[in-house]
Amino acid sequence: MATIDITKLRKEFGDEGEQIVAVEDLDLTIEDGEFMVFVGPSGCGKTTTLRCVAGLEDVSSGSIEFDGVDVTDQRARERNVAMVFQNYALYPHMTVRKNIGFPLRLSTKQSSDEIDERVEEIATLLGIESLLDDKPKELSGGQQQRVALGRAIIRDPEVFLMDEPLSNLDAKLRSVMRTELQELQQELDVTTAYVTHDQVEAMAMGDRIAILNEGRLQQVGDANEVYRSPTNEFVAGFIGSPSINLVTAEVDGDTLVGPGNFEYVLDDVSWVDGRSRVRVGVRPEDMHLVEDGAGSMPSEVTVVEHMGNENFLYARMGEVDLTARVPSKMRPPEGSRVRFDFDEEDLYLFDVDTQESVKTKTGETDVGYEQYVHNSV
Amino acid sequence: MAPTHSGGGSRFREASSLGRFPVRCDRPPERRKPGIARTTTDAGSTPRGEGERAVILNTIQSRVRTSPAYRAIADQVRYRRQDVSGTVPKIPALPYLYISPFFVLFAVFLLFPTVYTLYLSFFNYLGASNEVLLTVDFVVFQLTIPQIANLQFVGLDHYTRLLFQDSLFHQALFNTSFIFLVQVPLMVVLGLATALVLDAKFIRAKSVFRTLIALPVATGLVAYSTIFLLLFNGDVGVINYALETIGLGRVPWLSDAWWARITLVIAVTWRWLGYNMIILLAGLQTVPEQLYEAAEVDGASRWQKFRFVTLPQLRPVLLFVVVSSTIGTFQIFAEPYVITGGGPSNATITIVQYIYNQAFLQLNLGYASAVSVALVILVSIMSIIQIRYGGAE
Ligand SMILES: Nc1ncnc2c1ncn2[C@@H]1O[C@H](COP(=O)(O)OP(=O)(O)O)[C@@H](O)[C@H]1O
Ligand SMILES: [Mg+2]
Repeated sequence: MATIDITKLRKEFGDEGEQIVAVEDLDLTIEDGEFMVFVGPSGCGKTTTLRCVAGLEDVSSGSIEFDGVDVTDQRARERNVAMVFQNYALYPHMTVRKNIGFPLRLSTKQSSDEIDERVEEIATLLGIESLLDDKPKELSGGQQQRVALGRAIIRDPEVFLMDEPLSNLDAKLRSVMRTELQELQQELDVTTAYVTHDQVEAMAMGDRIAILNEGRLQQVGDANEVYRSPTNEFVAGFIGSPSINLVTAEVDGDTLVGPGNFEYVLDDVSWVDGRSRVRVGVRPEDMHLVEDGAGSMPSEVTVVEHMGNENFLYARMGEVDLTARVPSKMRPPEGSRVRFDFDEEDLYLFDVDTQESVKTKTGETDVGYEQYVHNSV
Repeated sequence: MAPTHSGGGSRFREASSLGRFPVRCDRPPERRKPGIARTTTDAGSTPRGEGERAVILNTIQSRVRTSPAYRAIADQVRYRRQDVSGTVPKIPALPYLYISPFFVLFAVFLLFPTVYTLYLSFFNYLGASNEVLLTVDFVVFQLTIPQIANLQFVGLDHYTRLLFQDSLFHQALFNTSFIFLVQVPLMVVLGLATALVLDAKFIRAKSVFRTLIALPVATGLVAYSTIFLLLFNGDVGVINYALETIGLGRVPWLSDAWWARITLVIAVTWRWLGYNMIILLAGLQTVPEQLYEAAEVDGASRWQKFRFVTLPQLRPVLLFVVVSSTIGTFQIFAEPYVITGGGPSNATITIVQYIYNQAFLQLNLGYASAVSVALVILVSIMSIIQIRYGGAE
């Protein structure tokens, strides 16, 4: 088990002339035994970061420490890390038994009998003891996944690295494996860095979540923090499903005025002191459908999606598309004109230029978050 | 965490990825370009005139393409084309006609000679013959099949002779086996070594080396054999001259029985190394990089990666190299024929060379056929053993 300290990590690809900066000035500490999830859109540098921690990629600058020991210049095989690859990377010519036992077989520390015993132990833990003599290609995706996990945990690594380990599984199996992975990690208590592009997975699994965009770390925090208090518009947009609604509004005294007759009167004007324009964000779950004439967001319903337990309303307000999550009983016909309203404590405000947060959720308790986790996991 | 709820998030993503809401304001992730590409090369460096011309041409082209007249004509052409493909008659045997050239050639140049060789091996050849073998009466015309050769049936005599009496055949068998035993392991090790070196990341000018090593494959058999004959000449050859210059003695390359066999091994290796290297290199490049990375993370050293990842992954390719080299060495002919002439005193005569001597110098076609059949059986057994042993698991 180890604490991972990443300091000013930078990774560039390519030669002089045409360079791609995959990771830029990343500072992050992953605590001992913590489950840290890296999340971000495709190409944001998650895999690269993980590979730098693994030692599969040389860093351009910066340092990586395990428990205070600088490992930046160590090769992967010297670091005592275990990695689960996106497509598992099982050795096709070896049986499941050999695959799982491979890391132990490379050293002379244990006899073949001890290794076999340990392999069976691990296989039982993962529920694949009956597959030990099969080859990887005879296994289903979920079984291969478990073999890859087995190979990773057999060595009692200090650090556990996983690059989108669930992305090749179907939705049902994915949610099963998600729970299993979490339980396994808690049981083994190994420091884990987990990469995913799926923010739902990130929210559900991570002790903390590190959100990356364009090679830069945007925010680190637990699910509640990144959902309620995003540091900028990107994080607010990335976390939450469906995504937050965003509108650019003019500040007119205590009123926010936006496209399609959007008008919202602020109780606390100090949020927009000295601003003439501001980006307004409201999460779909905070939008209330209200009586005509009352709400601040007059719009026209374009599509209603019935999810069973609730409905997603897609609507247009002027130039802007809005999404709202409403109780399943509310089914305005498509094409009808409706109005939405929201509470000021649920309102997000962002700077128009820097996209930094100006105001995030201020309410004490947060029913919306509970409901969010319940619905999307 | 109940799995029944798991559809909530993804359902939405499906909807939006279908493009139902093209101007959604809330999806910044997709809008951004991945990574931060910093390009210093100037994209707009085309000369001005050319750029304008391209724009004009483009405009004209798109105008033409979207004009109603063009579309009408294009549609007509498309309909016609589809009509034509509908009217092509369906001949049931047509596919067989298409693949028949192979079978015709196969029958004439492979199947017939093979079967006829087996047939000949039970006869003594007494010379050509004009006599009629049989006549087939087709009512309208008669097909006459001539008897190709004047043959005398001898049963298994040829086989007992080559097994128990023919010491020259035994010599040829020994020579060929020696070359095989030295040459195939040498070829595999050298081929793998060169392939590994050329596959390494730090080597520069790879394509130059690759070409140089592969070049001998393209040289003519007789041409290269002649050059080897000159290089390895005991008295005036460059090799001995070089050896002498650096202080080593002369080597009786062609006049000593063992050295002559070694000379043949060197020649064959020189010529075929490139071929095997290319095949092994291609094999190496199909090993997924991720397996090496997985092995690295699992703690494998360089040697362990080679032992546990490269070798097993390369197994089928290695098997191919071994089998084809085996077949190749058992068939060598041009090298001993040109370089050593089978000498000194039959020390390098090979099986195929012996067949050639029997068939075309002494016109013992029947006996030569029997030796050929024996060779086929021998090579088949070797290959089957290799495939059984090497292809297992
Ligand atoms: N080996 C490489 N060579 C060049 N560019 C690379 C390489 N690996 C990754 N990149 C670039 O670095 C950026 C980040 O990639 P990656 O870390 O794989 O993203 P993610 O895993 O978040 O999708 C991308 O722009 C990608 O094109
Ligand atoms: Mg990735």
